[in-house]
Amino acid sequence: MIYKKAFSFIIRDLILATSYKFEFFLRFFFMLFSILTFYFVSKLVGGVGMAHLEPYGGDYFSFVLIGIAFSGYLMTALRSFSESIRGEQMMGTLEAMLVTPTDTSAIVTLSSLWSFIFMSFRVLMYLVIGILLGVDMSNANVFAALIILILTIICFGSIGIISASFIMVLKRGDPINMFFMSTSELFGGVLFPISVLPDWLRTISYLLPITYSLSGMRHALLQGYSLSALAPEITALMVFSVVLVPLGLLSFKYAVKRAKMDGSLVQY
Amino acid sequence: MEYTIETHDLTKKFALQKGFTDFLLHPFRKDEMTAVEEVNIKIKKGELFGILGPNGAGKTTLIKMLCTLILPSEGTAYVNGYEITKDSGKVRRSIGFITADERSFYWRLTGRRNLKFFASLHNFYSEDAEERIDELLSLVGLEERADDRFLSYSAGMKQRMAIARGLLNDPEVVFMDEPTRALDPGAAQHLRGFIRDRIVGDEGKTVFLSTHHLPEAEELCDRIAIIDEGRIRVVGTLDELKAGLDKPDPGLGDVFMHYTGKEFERGAAPKHVYPGRRRMMGGGRPGGMRF
Repeated sequence: MIYKKAFSFIIRDLILATSYKFEFFLRFFFMLFSILTFYFVSKLVGGVGMAHLEPYGGDYFSFVLIGIAFSGYLMTALRSFSESIRGEQMMGTLEAMLVTPTDTSAIVTLSSLWSFIFMSFRVLMYLVIGILLGVDMSNANVFAALIILILTIICFGSIGIISASFIMVLKRGDPINMFFMSTSELFGGVLFPISVLPDWLRTISYLLPITYSLSGMRHALLQGYSLSALAPEITALMVFSVVLVPLGLLSFKYAVKRAKMDGSLVQY
Repeated sequence: MEYTIETHDLTKKFALQKGFTDFLLHPFRKDEMTAVEEVNIKIKKGELFGILGPNGAGKTTLIKMLCTLILPSEGTAYVNGYEITKDSGKVRRSIGFITADERSFYWRLTGRRNLKFFASLHNFYSEDAEERIDELLSLVGLEERADDRFLSYSAGMKQRMAIARGLLNDPEVVFMDEPTRALDPGAAQHLRGFIRDRIVGDEGKTVFLSTHHLPEAEELCDRIAIIDEGRIRVVGTLDELKAGLDKPDPGLGDVFMHYTGKEFERGAAPKHVYPGRRRMMGGGRPGGMRF
């Protein structure tokens, strides 16, 4: 039954997204620009920093392509849950949804599905364009990459739900979103390997799930690592999941209760 | 279950937002505002119960507590036999909520698509949903415009769509929060007829309706509760409420004045009275709603 409900949310969001046709196509068009930017930066950088890139196959463009493609999931998770609440609050549709038997957490989760589907399509486009520009993924271990992807979505999704809990209560100024948005690019190994960072800063990288997610994804897609070779990344992501999933659910349950107590469920 | 809706000392207090200076000077002081205070009401199945009060009297807070959107601070309430905090899911399964807020729809979706989406939230899918939606569209007279975008509808059509949505799950109880607020007098008049004849008369629903419109309460409701500053001042049929007054042929405004000591704010009362106490006289309205 939940898949039928999920389908109905996806159809709703697909129709709404495509009803703004110009914006829908622009988003795809400008996606190309960021890939091309990094393609030419990699041409300039060439073999500089090869020692740092060696563990990931040695090519900067391949490294950064995976970084910008999959870090998008974190951005989507951080934005989509809280934005779905805020969007429904501002449109005025949240109250009408909350008065139905569908649970609040289900409403928030299902409202974010479209963003994840759109992001997945975007990642696919990134990878296809990357391959056309010469990125070698002939040895990719797709199964291992899917395992990493699922764990990544679980971790990032949980962080997104914690972030949405803050939005539910505070309406604006969510510290989780701000923290992960500002730290992930710098410490998560999105644009450069974390080995570039001084040791004391690198400690922060090890506390972020994105570090393990991107490292695992690069090893799986660019070098075809086996599941056993990816054990450190998979274990780390599983530990994050075990901690973050219950934390996300509890914080959201508390936030809904608090908002119902304050009478601020539909305020923004 | 003797009563469809039953409240026991239902109370809601909201914490007041502190200013920055207050927060610094008295960080632990808890300032509260009582929105609804010790409300005790009992509503029977099939009754059209009106709650009448000026803006800010506590009507919407009371309805939202009964719809499980706001948690009470004290007291309790039962809707269809389910306690509103412990069995909130079951309460929501058995109620419909109709608001005058036209923003509560997706304007870029068609009317039908909106109903399909909200039907899925009520766990109605595919053919079950299609059938129910067609039935409701016919009931509210919107079959021909169902596949147009919601944004192209008039205020009256939007309100009809809100009614169709409120009835999607065939609820036992329908809550209506000022349903005629956004309508012109003629459309409001027809809606009142529709509520009385079709929703209560034909469908046998229990309706809990909030209004700040005196003639609406007077024309429509089996019983009326007058609420002011969060407290229910009096509950009864129109005749019972008037019986307590010495004045000859008193209106509901006089009743309000008698029980609250205040004059009710003047609304735009329609010149003619809705001819639809027909249900009580055995009449009925055959067609759908047109306004």
